[in-house]
Amino acid sequence: MNQETEKTLAFFGRMTANLTHEFKNILAIIQESAGLMEDIMAISPLARDKYQERFNNSMNTIKNQLQRGMEMASRFNRFAHTPDHNSAELELGETMVHFCTLTERFARLKHITLQADSQKGQEIKITTNPLLLYMVLFYSLDACLSVLPAQCEIRLISAKKDENAAVKIACTGKQAPSPEQFFTGLRQSNAWGELENTAAQLNAELKCNTDDLCFYLILK
Amino acid sequence: MKTRVLLVDDEQQFVEQLSERLKIRDYDVSVCFSGEEAVENIRQYLYDVVILDVAMPGMDGNEVLKRIKQHRPLTEVIMLTGHATVESAIDGMKQGAFDYLMKPCDTEELVKKIHNAYQRKAEQEERIRAAKTERYSTSPWSALEDK
Repeated sequence: MNQETEKTLAFFGRMTANLTHEFKNILAIIQESAGLMEDIMAISPLARDKYQERFNNSMNTIKNQLQRGMEMASRFNRFAHTPDHNSAELELGETMVHFCTLTERFARLKHITLQADSQKGQEIKITTNPLLLYMVLFYSLDACLSVLPAQCEIRLISAKKDENAAVKIACTGKQAPSPEQFFTGLRQSNAWGELENTAAQLNAELKCNTDDLCFYLILK
Repeated sequence: MKTRVLLVDDEQQFVEQLSERLKIRDYDVSVCFSGEEAVENIRQYLYDVVILDVAMPGMDGNEVLKRIKQHRPLTEVIMLTGHATVESAIDGMKQGAFDYLMKPCDTEELVKKIHNAYQRKAEQEERIRAAKTERYSTSPWSALEDK
């Protein structure tokens, strides 16, 4: 297996583990809700009135979790199709939203908020390699998460930079490091090396702002 | 006295539903939605068994387990893991967890493990009581040293 394939498999492995963990949580909630309804039904009919509200709550919980599970399955399915074509047309803002919903848990585990945003709500269409784009976004996120402390925020903003489509990765937070510490930390992280390599494969340029916690991924 | 169970998981709805089910089974159940909150609770209150999720935002289950064992070494901990691998749970067992279960778990199996964990804690406490009683009978002054 060559290095590139290994890297892609490792990326897919981390994404899949993350999403299946979320699926397990959903199934656990459904199981306990259904179990609670079963418990209530097994209680003497005289006591059932007391539990009517809990029974209804459990029913609603199951419906909500089924909805959550279906949305997640759709997102996962869309993600699983990213290697289908080497080149495809994407709307950048929508892709950011999709990526953030897929990876939000990585940030949540570190008490960091991850958000997709677009510059003035403008639509930016790009033709690119979807898999490499997701990998580049993933390594950007991974690098930021390795440097930022809890309670910070990471925003992925689809934007135009020098006539090119770009993703601005902007980090903020009261406890956030200085720009110097931030970029030193990023460059020392394993993810940054992967990001540079994958960005080169995608023909994307990495541009760092030195006076705030933000860098651009310019898609050419 | 009812078995005092602390349920710790960041999935709020999971915790709420499971705690209801355990209450129906006559357990005295408290809940926490983060590792930090659990550690604070363990310092203030006594629990017989803690059911602890491994992967939580902020302080994770293995770190919480360490703190529990520092403050309340006799409290038994059952780890809940959503991971397909058992590595994280094995780490927990090495740190003194009583047992582990994969999420989603069978409630009756969990209840059985809570019962066994409580039994082990009760036996440990009984052994400590017996050892103290023996020590006091041979050396009455040692009762003062323990205070």
